[in-house]
Amino acid sequence: MISLRGVSLTYPNGVRALDHVSLEIGKGDFVFLVGHSGTGKSSLLRLLYREARPSSGEITVDGIRVDKLRNGRVPALRRHLGVVFQDFKLLSDKTVWENVAFAMQVTGAHTKDVMRQVPRVLDLVGLSHKSRMYPGELSGGEQQRTAIARALVNNPKILLSDEPTGNLDPANTTEIMELLLRINLKGTTIVVATHNQAVVDRMRRRVVRMEDGRIVTDEERGYYYLGLGQGQVLSG
Amino acid sequence: MDWGKVKFFLGEVLRNFTRNAGMQLTAIGTVAITIVLLGAFLFVRAALAGFGNQLMDQIEISTYLKADASSAQIASIQHLISSDPRVLSVDFVSKKEGLAELRARTRGEIDTSLLTENPLPDKLRVRVREPELVPAVAASIRRIDGVDNVVFGEQVVQRLLQLGAVLRRVGIAVICVFLAVAGIIISNTIRLTVFARRREIAIMQLVGATNTYIRMPFICEGLIDGVLGSAIAVLVLAVAHAALWPRLLEALPFVSLPAAAYNPGLLVGELFLAGAAIGVVASWISVGRHLRT
Repeated sequence: MISLRGVSLTYPNGVRALDHVSLEIGKGDFVFLVGHSGTGKSSLLRLLYREARPSSGEITVDGIRVDKLRNGRVPALRRHLGVVFQDFKLLSDKTVWENVAFAMQVTGAHTKDVMRQVPRVLDLVGLSHKSRMYPGELSGGEQQRTAIARALVNNPKILLSDEPTGNLDPANTTEIMELLLRINLKGTTIVVATHNQAVVDRMRRRVVRMEDGRIVTDEERGYYYLGLGQGQVLSG
Repeated sequence: MDWGKVKFFLGEVLRNFTRNAGMQLTAIGTVAITIVLLGAFLFVRAALAGFGNQLMDQIEISTYLKADASSAQIASIQHLISSDPRVLSVDFVSKKEGLAELRARTRGEIDTSLLTENPLPDKLRVRVREPELVPAVAASIRRIDGVDNVVFGEQVVQRLLQLGAVLRRVGIAVICVFLAVAGIIISNTIRLTVFARRREIAIMQLVGATNTYIRMPFICEGLIDGVLGSAIAVLVLAVAHAALWPRLLEALPFVSLPAAAYNPGLLVGELFLAGAAIGVVASWISVGRHLRT
């Protein structure tokens, strides 16, 4: 589903964000990207949704060669991907319903499909009863659930999330992670960049650890800190 | 037709438009001022050109015939000149008629009764289809046997032709400058509204909206700015015209200003088109700067 081969990324200011990163993520996988701030987690995600282009290396997402993708084809890629951020990125002057519908409407979706799909995803994230409220009237967890609903409304095969629980308290964090798990069980491939140790340790999922723009370990059922788990698989 | 889509789109345009009302007013005002200047300029140019054309139309070649020319010779000269395709009409003016005309024109200030004999020669009054052709036709008439002299206000014709050419060139340059200045100001105004909506644009790009789709509301916004600005400008021009035109006619009684030198419908159409074009092009450019990924 996602494949990176020898990917490097150097920003125009000379900072080397990624250094020969190779990674394979299969269909329906749930992967944590962990590491300190500034180790390249966000940069890696940005490459996947073509917010940035690699300096070298090959990137394939759902069969699309992202590193070679022309600007005009980027919208098509983004419709296969859902992206969720720490700061939710909701429009404050639109209701929950409108924020979610917006993602479909701006891709030119038929109203019939919008009317069918939006209630479905709002039900999935448990916000049907708050669909007429504005983001400012919601808790952080509810705002993030709205953002997840928006990311899912176009039925993406992959959901990328960059610190989705970074602004949330533990109760809301648990809620969001359980929601992501439910979405994963429906077959969506999920990549979560995080430095929330509690979440990673409780979920016991695949953990890809990054340091200084390189992948240092890749464990099948890992912990946040290396050495806590059993059956570690160290890779290049 | 998916009315839900239409409603959503119009809602977005309206929301955009009302939310940045201050900036919209700036843009509309800029368009209005530009279009007023442009309209006044086009009007003056049309009036000048019309005035020039009117003068041109009055230009005639006076072909004075030799005093000893027989009536058969005159007829053949007349026939020869009128067979030229550039010539519109040839009228014979006898020396008697010529004297009567002179009397009429001078309104009795010259006492022609003092004359013991008519000093005027017979002449042919030649009108030409295009003012530009006057000098050439005059030259060819001058070569005809039996023609004594040819007069056509050479300098006036040259000046008018030059004036026409200069007006055309200067006019195009001035219009281009006007449109460019307005375009830059509007483009900056719309850039502010684009900047105010950069979060929205970022989200639209994130969920896979095409650049064309993202551009569309801004283009509509530019179009509305342009059309509203033009409407105000046309209104201002109409009021100014109604107030000033009669006074101008009064102030310049000896100049017969051509009322029909311009077509008001066409001028209004041109101004609206110019306003709309500035708005659309300016917003296209300013959104484009934010879309490069």
